[in-house]
Amino acid sequence: MFSTLLAAVLAATAMPAQAFGQTATVAQMQAEPNQVQDVTVVQGDGYATLAWTHVDGATDYQIERTPIAEDGTATGNAVIVGVWRPNRQINNDKPTFADAGFAPGNRFQWRVRARFGTTAQPYSTAVSGATNAHWGNLSTPGQNLRTQWEDTLGAQYTSDVNEYAYTAAIDELSERVRVVEIGRTINNRPINMFVIGYPTPPATPEAVAATNPLAVNCNVHGNEPGDREACFIMARQLAFTDDAATLDRLSKTTVLIVPTINGDGRAANSRGNSTGQDLNRDYSLIRQPETQAFVEMVRDYRPIASYDGHEYGNTNTGDLPMLSPRHQNVAQGIFDESQNMIEGHMYTQGAKDGWWACPYGCTGASVGLGEETILRNTLGLKNTVNSLLELRSSGGPTRPDEGNTANNRRRKTYSALWTFTQFFAYHSANASNITTARAEAIKFQSANTGRIVFRGSRPIPAHPAPHPGDTPPPLDAPGQDQILNQPPCAYKLTEAQYNGARTDGPTGRQTTVAQRLAAHGWKVIKVADGYLVPLSQPERGLVPLLLDGQAAEGLVDGERIAPTLTGTHNGPLTVSGVACLAGATVRGPIKVQPGATLIVNGSSINGPVDASGAAGFVLTASTVQGPVNATGVRGPVVLVGNKISGPVNVVNNTGVAPLVAGNTVNGPLSCTGNTHAPVNLEVANTVSGPKSSQCARV
Amino acid sequence: MTDTLSRAATPAARRVLAGAALTLLIAVTGCTGADDRDAGGADTATPVAVTVAGPLCDQLPAGDEPGNPASLVSQPADQALQWIPVLTTFEAAVRATGLAAELAGTNGVTILAPTDDAFAAKFSRTNLDELLLHDTDKLRGLLRDHVVTGSLPVAELVAAGTVTTLAGTSLTVTGSGPSARVDDRADTVCADYQVSNARIHVINHVLGTLPTTASDEDDHHS
Repeated sequence: MFSTLLAAVLAATAMPAQAFGQTATVAQMQAEPNQVQDVTVVQGDGYATLAWTHVDGATDYQIERTPIAEDGTATGNAVIVGVWRPNRQINNDKPTFADAGFAPGNRFQWRVRARFGTTAQPYSTAVSGATNAHWGNLSTPGQNLRTQWEDTLGAQYTSDVNEYAYTAAIDELSERVRVVEIGRTINNRPINMFVIGYPTPPATPEAVAATNPLAVNCNVHGNEPGDREACFIMARQLAFTDDAATLDRLSKTTVLIVPTINGDGRAANSRGNSTGQDLNRDYSLIRQPETQAFVEMVRDYRPIASYDGHEYGNTNTGDLPMLSPRHQNVAQGIFDESQNMIEGHMYTQGAKDGWWACPYGCTGASVGLGEETILRNTLGLKNTVNSLLELRSSGGPTRPDEGNTANNRRRKTYSALWTFTQFFAYHSANASNITTARAEAIKFQSANTGRIVFRGSRPIPAHPAPHPGDTPPPLDAPGQDQILNQPPCAYKLTEAQYNGARTDGPTGRQTTVAQRLAAHGWKVIKVADGYLVPLSQPERGLVPLLLDGQAAEGLVDGERIAPTLTGTHNGPLTVSGVACLAGATVRGPIKVQPGATLIVNGSSINGPVDASGAAGFVLTASTVQGPVNATGVRGPVVLVGNKISGPVNVVNNTGVAPLVAGNTVNGPLSCTGNTHAPVNLEVANTVSGPKSSQCARV
Repeated sequence: MTDTLSRAATPAARRVLAGAALTLLIAVTGCTGADDRDAGGADTATPVAVTVAGPLCDQLPAGDEPGNPASLVSQPADQALQWIPVLTTFEAAVRATGLAAELAGTNGVTILAPTDDAFAAKFSRTNLDELLLHDTDKLRGLLRDHVVTGSLPVAELVAAGTVTTLAGTSLTVTGSGPSARVDDRADTVCADYQVSNARIHVINHVLGTLPTTASDEDDHHS
């Protein structure tokens, strides 16, 4: 089958183009045998979706495009611009093809013909139309902005200086947009982010987070600029559109667009940043200021879904290879929902609009795995539904009218624009599924149950034939030496490990482990002889990947701290030093001595828990019959996924914001006097009694 | 890098488009065939006919598109390179090495510019990043292997038979008609761009003596 298709493509390229100058007006003709019927063309932004009725026996179809004048006369040669193959979409009975690469606004006619093997069948009658011009009315302020890339019809990418001017113009002209500088590159280029909401974006990162935002990361590799141009156009559309459906979506959430985290690499046309570091191998380790800025943004704005834009070198693959966060430490629900985003939404919409989305790798290409340091996995481990996006670099056999040129650049960018636009639609339609998956993931990770996989991926099963072709991404199952069946309770770092100078990272800009863990937003407890990082927190799956000596690309070799109690304890329990209860049963009260640390996962406590004056207090996935008192704790307070029968007090804590999420409290929840108001990461608590002051919203 | 930041905010694109609005009468007879429409784009009042030749010209801006050959005639070489979309690597290399001044010399130069595909076939991504970001002296040497003194049409290169690069290396040039083979390994694929004080010939192979580092590993993107 496959070699037949290749032969057919070769035959097609040898065929002469249609006669120059023929008229485009085609009289209604009697259908010939095997002639494609019912061709329709629908114009999108930078692409035109052709659809037609399937011809029985067709092995593929060719799409021909001819530039025409207003009166329909041809102004250039007819060119085969597309080859539709059966592995292109999930529903072969309704073939579609997104033609792209043309200069927006030009007028064309299209014809489609079937081929049986290498034998071409008669062309359809022609359908003509004007393609959409660059988005936005030229007489409407804001809408009339254009990027350097648009102005030059793709001959030039938008420079850094022109990016800043365009970004500032949108910021100034649109109430819906706030441009935030989330950091600076090593060479001091600003890393900007569009924050877009309707009628205005929420004022603070915390307020944005409360809207369950979505994020697009547009340009990690400096020499893969196609997605970035799509982001500029999308930002303009969102800022100035009058479309009611879009405005409705923007009124319910916030769109975060980071056009260029690697501005130095973009300017140098290098893959890496100015030190040569591949930033998509640095999202967990955050040695570089660019990745640190992005990770801090994720910590503060908390996108629930994300896309990460790239370009890909293989020619013989889909238009839009995608891949979910498949690291095995990612919560199942986040992986499943990411797969649903790709296979449920993008495959379905791609089949309607003619774009060929497929799993990264698609038809037999070798793929980079990138593992936990790559953004899709790091974000998955941060409980964000997300996908990698590749734009196929070359036209390849299915888009034969692309050299390494403007045609090719336009197809790539407008395919990215389609994807990001669909991503927004997906997010709006599935917000409750995404937030449910995220809440379950946060509770699952915080419970610290189940094995840890240092490196290894979930399988991506092949989508039912004929889509996506023959080869899913490689299995990449973890080896036995990459699995830890009994997770520790926490990692302990020495003073030197935690605050000591590092040699990784750019000269003069190295950051400590303490700074990096803070950028990730992790809870760290200061104890007498070092620093404890409990696994029972929302990013549990990522913790051992950085802090365990067995990690494939770890940050520091922390000491595994095993649970101190896993069985049953009858009577009162007094905690001094560090106690870690995992799957334990305590029949009696627990009292934490001032300055001591208590970590409780998946345990049952029949009696009050009093952590007054503790160094740190972590209680997850546990059942407590009695009051829980976190008062005057100097370090982290984490209460996630518990069932508590009794009043809960979170009072006068002086550390980072207490995390109170996903608990069921049969009683009042009192929060007052905390230095930082408690947060719930948008994972609601069920509280039967009153929720006071600082906890009114959690 | 700071020079990039301090560059004037007015994009070159806008200037050229403004020039196009003047609808200067510039006959363009490119490789796209008989296109006798008026084409603007150069900010010069002198009518110039530019004929570029080679199989890749079809893939490059032509007619009245931004970046068409006629629009580049008065631009300095480093600026003109930014308009030829298959030369993003070479253009970035010129900026990385500060070679622009040498390209703008009053006596004129001939630039044999390898395509992005040629660079990708020559260097691994890692190696290319090293050259662009760290080994810029080495990269500068490589670029100087691609520059010949004097602004020479491809026909004159062929007539000369042998030319000497800025790096001092000797290149044989053979061929007939509008295209040429350089150093017995590179073909001109779109030759005879005329720019200020220079000719640019797009070639399909990297010259010089650096080792080839490209491999299948380069398929692993994302």
